[in-house]
Amino acid sequence: MSNFRIAGKGRVNRSRQVRFTFDGVDYTGYEGDTLASALLANGVHLVGRSFKYHRPRGILSAGSEEPNALVGTDRGNGRFEPNTRATVLEVFEGLKTESQNRWPSLTRDIGAVNDALYMLFSAGFYYKTFMWPKSFWDKVYEPVIRNAAGLGKAPTAPDPDVYASRFAHCDVLVVGGGAAGLAAALEAGRSGASVILCDEQSEIGGSLLSEPAAEINGQLAWDWLEDANAALAGMPNVTVLPRTTAIGYYHQNFIGLCQRLTDHLRIVPEGAPRERMWKVRAKQVVLAQGAIEKPLVFAGNDRPGVMLAGAARTYLNRYGVKVGNRVVVVTSHDSAWHAAFDLAKAGVEVAAIVDVRGTVPTQLAAAADALRIRTLIGWTVTGTRGRLRVSSVRVNPVGAGGKVGSAETIACDALLMSGGWTPSIHLFSHTQGSLTWNEDGQMFLPGRGKEDCCLAGAGKGRFGLKAAFEDGAAAGAAAAADAGFGVEPPAYHVEGELSFTGVTGRELPTDRDLGHAKAFVDFQNDVMAKDIRLAVREGFKSIEHIKRYTTTGMATDQGKTSNINGLAVASDALKRPIPAVGLTTFRPPYTPTSFGTFAGYNKGALFEVTRKTPIDGWAEENGAVFEPVSLWRRARYFPQGGEDMHAAVARECKAVRSSLGIFDASTLGKIEIVGPDAAEFMNRMYTNAWTKLAPGRCRYGLLLGEDGFIRDDGVIGRLAHDRFHVTTTTGGAARVLNMMEDYLQTEWPDLKVWLTSTTEQWSVIALNGPNARKLIEPFVEGIDLSDGAFPHMAMATGKICGVPTRLFRVSFTGELGFEINVPARYGRAVWEKLFEAGQRFGITPYGTETMHVLRAEKGYIIVGQDTDGTLTPDDAGLSWAIGKTKPDFVGKRSLSRPDMLAADRKQLVGLLTADPKTVLEEGAQIVLDPNQPVPMEMVGHVTSSYWSAELGRSIALAAIQGGRSLQGRTVHVPMPDKVHSATITGMVFVDPENTRLSA
Amino acid sequence: MLLANHPLPGKTIPGDTASRLSIRAAEDTARFSLRIDPAAVQAAGTAFGTPLPTRIGGMTATGGRSALQLGPDEWMLTAPVAESDGIADAFAALQEPHSLVDVGHREVGILVEGEAAALALRSAIAFDVEAMAVGSGCRTLFDKAQIVLVREDENRFRIVVWRSFADHVWGLLQAVSREIALGI
Amino acid sequence: MLLIRCPYCEAERPEVEFTYAGEAHIARPADPSALSDDEWRDFLFIRTNPRGRHFERWRHMHGCGRFFNAVRDTVTDKFAMTYKAGEPRPSDEEIALAGSATSVGEARP
Ligand SMILES: [Zn+2]
Repeated sequence: MSNFRIAGKGRVNRSRQVRFTFDGVDYTGYEGDTLASALLANGVHLVGRSFKYHRPRGILSAGSEEPNALVGTDRGNGRFEPNTRATVLEVFEGLKTESQNRWPSLTRDIGAVNDALYMLFSAGFYYKTFMWPKSFWDKVYEPVIRNAAGLGKAPTAPDPDVYASRFAHCDVLVVGGGAAGLAAALEAGRSGASVILCDEQSEIGGSLLSEPAAEINGQLAWDWLEDANAALAGMPNVTVLPRTTAIGYYHQNFIGLCQRLTDHLRIVPEGAPRERMWKVRAKQVVLAQGAIEKPLVFAGNDRPGVMLAGAARTYLNRYGVKVGNRVVVVTSHDSAWHAAFDLAKAGVEVAAIVDVRGTVPTQLAAAADALRIRTLIGWTVTGTRGRLRVSSVRVNPVGAGGKVGSAETIACDALLMSGGWTPSIHLFSHTQGSLTWNEDGQMFLPGRGKEDCCLAGAGKGRFGLKAAFEDGAAAGAAAAADAGFGVEPPAYHVEGELSFTGVTGRELPTDRDLGHAKAFVDFQNDVMAKDIRLAVREGFKSIEHIKRYTTTGMATDQGKTSNINGLAVASDALKRPIPAVGLTTFRPPYTPTSFGTFAGYNKGALFEVTRKTPIDGWAEENGAVFEPVSLWRRARYFPQGGEDMHAAVARECKAVRSSLGIFDASTLGKIEIVGPDAAEFMNRMYTNAWTKLAPGRCRYGLLLGEDGFIRDDGVIGRLAHDRFHVTTTTGGAARVLNMMEDYLQTEWPDLKVWLTSTTEQWSVIALNGPNARKLIEPFVEGIDLSDGAFPHMAMATGKICGVPTRLFRVSFTGELGFEINVPARYGRAVWEKLFEAGQRFGITPYGTETMHVLRAEKGYIIVGQDTDGTLTPDDAGLSWAIGKTKPDFVGKRSLSRPDMLAADRKQLVGLLTADPKTVLEEGAQIVLDPNQPVPMEMVGHVTSSYWSAELGRSIALAAIQGGRSLQGRTVHVPMPDKVHSATITGMVFVDPENTRLSA
Repeated sequence: MLLANHPLPGKTIPGDTASRLSIRAAEDTARFSLRIDPAAVQAAGTAFGTPLPTRIGGMTATGGRSALQLGPDEWMLTAPVAESDGIADAFAALQEPHSLVDVGHREVGILVEGEAAALALRSAIAFDVEAMAVGSGCRTLFDKAQIVLVREDENRFRIVVWRSFADHVWGLLQAVSREIALGI
Repeated sequence: MLLIRCPYCEAERPEVEFTYAGEAHIARPADPSALSDDEWRDFLFIRTNPRGRHFERWRHMHGCGRFFNAVRDTVTDKFAMTYKAGEPRPSDEEIALAGSATSVGEARP
């Protein structure tokens, strides 16, 4: 295996070798290498196949803008990630990586046939080719395309990693740790302001890491960098975050930073998060994100071995890796000449520098001469050769008037290109700041901002180290001053500057047919210059449309290397200037970000709050099966000895109706309404009348929205003249309190009444069944439980089992029932005491499923199950709950709107299936005539449906148009297997005379 | 008396080796939500035996009793458990219209202490915890759970959270304290 | 995440503590029964939905608990000002005055 590592160059740790694999082959690199630099050091350029055409692709860049070199990474223990950019992935001992989008292997890939079938895949091919027949899309085209075109494979196992998040507030956030960012952070830090400096790379330094020969204030760049890092580390007010990408810039200087914590570690400490999302609120932001080099657009510019000149220079200077043994440089910009010089000085043969410009700065030409490098000024590149790696480049002179002369072929194993530099304005663009086109530099620069931020250095078109340092220092000082900290920025003296003039941005001239040139603009989405021209020929004029039609700039790299080239090609084709063609909007995240980072702590047990009642632990210990009810988990049923739900619920129902059941009702919403105007407030909120409700009595309360539809219900007890104990549905508790506060605060602020949530103050134990009173009598103090003194719908305060209680005699089952409220911390103990004493009655714990069945047998509705936000009290058969004489209550006026009085409104009714064993599906649609043609006229739907053990048959509730007037009528429920028929009945199936309530 | 049952699974999260962080369940207290017209705040303070704060976020404390103003007409009153009935009786005698509701069992307290306390809280609290004044408190969100946060000292915070949300807060603090112990 | 100034807490707090509560200055009629069906419909459902300046209600749900009013630009999402429930709709001058106190300077490119 060849070795392309150059002794004495680079910053990688030569004393720490690391072994890793790529496509099953073992390689070695050094600590500090990226996968890209380590592969290049081993002579590997071919790392993947392209998205559509499966063309062999190599490493284009040395940074996060990389469009080609995407790999799958395996960190062991199920940690697999697709589409990791090899140029940012740090190697470590044992890392396993693989190429993507190839089969059976990277070097022999069947899909490469797509490359020959260009016409199938050209611009808009999805839209044109797969229009017809429509049904083919799902079954044929889409699967085939998905197979043939694509990126890596998503992992199938759950992500084993944990993630973290953190909020931070600072005076100055500096994004980017290159020359400008460092200078900014140093100034802001010296001022005393609190500073966060983040950089996406593993090391702070940016382009300084690739500039060892530059001298800053008399120090070599790397020495200066070491001192600068030490200075920052010594400031307690400065936080430096390497491996941290600013992914999004949101309103009011809120910036998301993704910090990679453990991906680079060989051994991850147990429980350590993989990544952390920082949510930073900064008073001032300095964006110093630098610039990204542009490729040149010419035929064969995507062949492995063709890469950006600046990247080659970084691999040489930072990683000590030469990207080839014989290189050619093609450029329209000065900076690529420095790559040629550095490589030549390192012993690499530079076969030629091809500059498409007519003239170049004399000092560059002189330097090339001194290094005996052949220069071809005013030449163009018209093609490359080499199957899996570039082997030669075809170059032609361009004469006066743009005439392309005859070609010459130069052998090479790497072709370095530069089309100039694009300032990274992505985050500024996130703020909706305006951009202005700079014709000289052929680049967009930041215009008017909308946030407290400024840009510095190459990120706003100030190229060169001195400019970056001074601009950064000024920005850092200004930001600190705006945050209230004063400091005077220093001057910087820099030796060894690169030259930064150039022209940019047009497809290179060629002597060949442009219509056949495979000149790539967007490498990741496989978009060529001719695709963009085709889109223009077909009538697209705006870049937003061209982009969507050709997909240029729409890959995961968001067109970091391709946007300006795409614009230039479109601008040429449209014969309109670039600003008139427009620039597409950049959107967060700046680079692809894992879902885990966005989720943060919210995965596994912390995915969402799981609310548990004080009695939940008992239910768990006693084998309950749980179900989620809003954020709560509630016991659904308590299976015994291998029972299924059906058997368990039937047993539980029977126990309640025949003796005694115990139920945890703690999740019921509870609101304490207190104050001299409490009754008046209740009158206005609820449909019922409250003035005459005596203390110690309860009433069913029905709450509407102002639109007249049922919002919530519950039993409400009056504790005292000025104090009500309101209960709400489990899911409605917060909503009801919010609605009450809204009316109280904004409509009736004059009322002297206050609302307090007491949902969690009280544990609620519901006892139901003929033996309920017998069980609690010995435990209750201070309340006469006799039927006369404490009838149905009575409530009182006293003690039970020695602790305070609010005792309600209410029933949601139709049986004699009590709801025992005790302070929450005593809930479980009281429950256990009653359960123990209840053994002589065969006391049976039951869950929500049994509760649902028992209440349905009695025709008691559940708001949110039997109602859906479109039912009025009358629709639900609850007209009796409306205080007819009250002048007003929330929703009253709506009840007299014409459409609320229509005869064909859906009304709740009972349903009995013709086959008593059939339990209808909840939500099933109901029709009157099962033989009508499809689509049938649906007249209603099933809202509740259960097996009733009490009746030995199924029961159901349904909302049916004009249902109450259709009593006795047969309706039909078409289901996939058969059409069920059922008879409309009343809603009460069990004990219609309510004799059991006062058993 | 029956056994009280606390919602937190363990009572403490041990700190890291440098003891930069310790997290534990707080002792139970008597706790009331007082709602009253701010114009009557003096009379309420007399009933409570401790003057009430008059600024949202403000706190007063004397003799084991403390009052935290959470809203324009809302105070959280705390006291030793044994004083609960006495406080209820005192307010029952207060002539000014008001609402005093016992919420002693509604919430539980979690104490977050140590040099890294604020850092730990920053994992899930969106406002600037570091800038919070000592001796102040407010309602806010901790991840998805509503809490009342009190800064009792430079490095000591108290979280008061509805009991069914306590598990979630506790679990997240456990994850955070692991990070802090690892120095990551 | 926006920062929203609660006029009761007199502090800027993070958006997560707040909930949105619809258009402001739509008072519930004192006597709904006196309204025609059309008038009641308008009260219930018809909202201005402007592009630009919007008077709206928020609640400091996970804070002081108060409903309050805000002037927000629906294009830029920027709050010009917030004020207590029950206070009258602010004039253009008042909004301009409040807005200038919090406006963001231009970027310094
Ligand atoms: Zn507030």
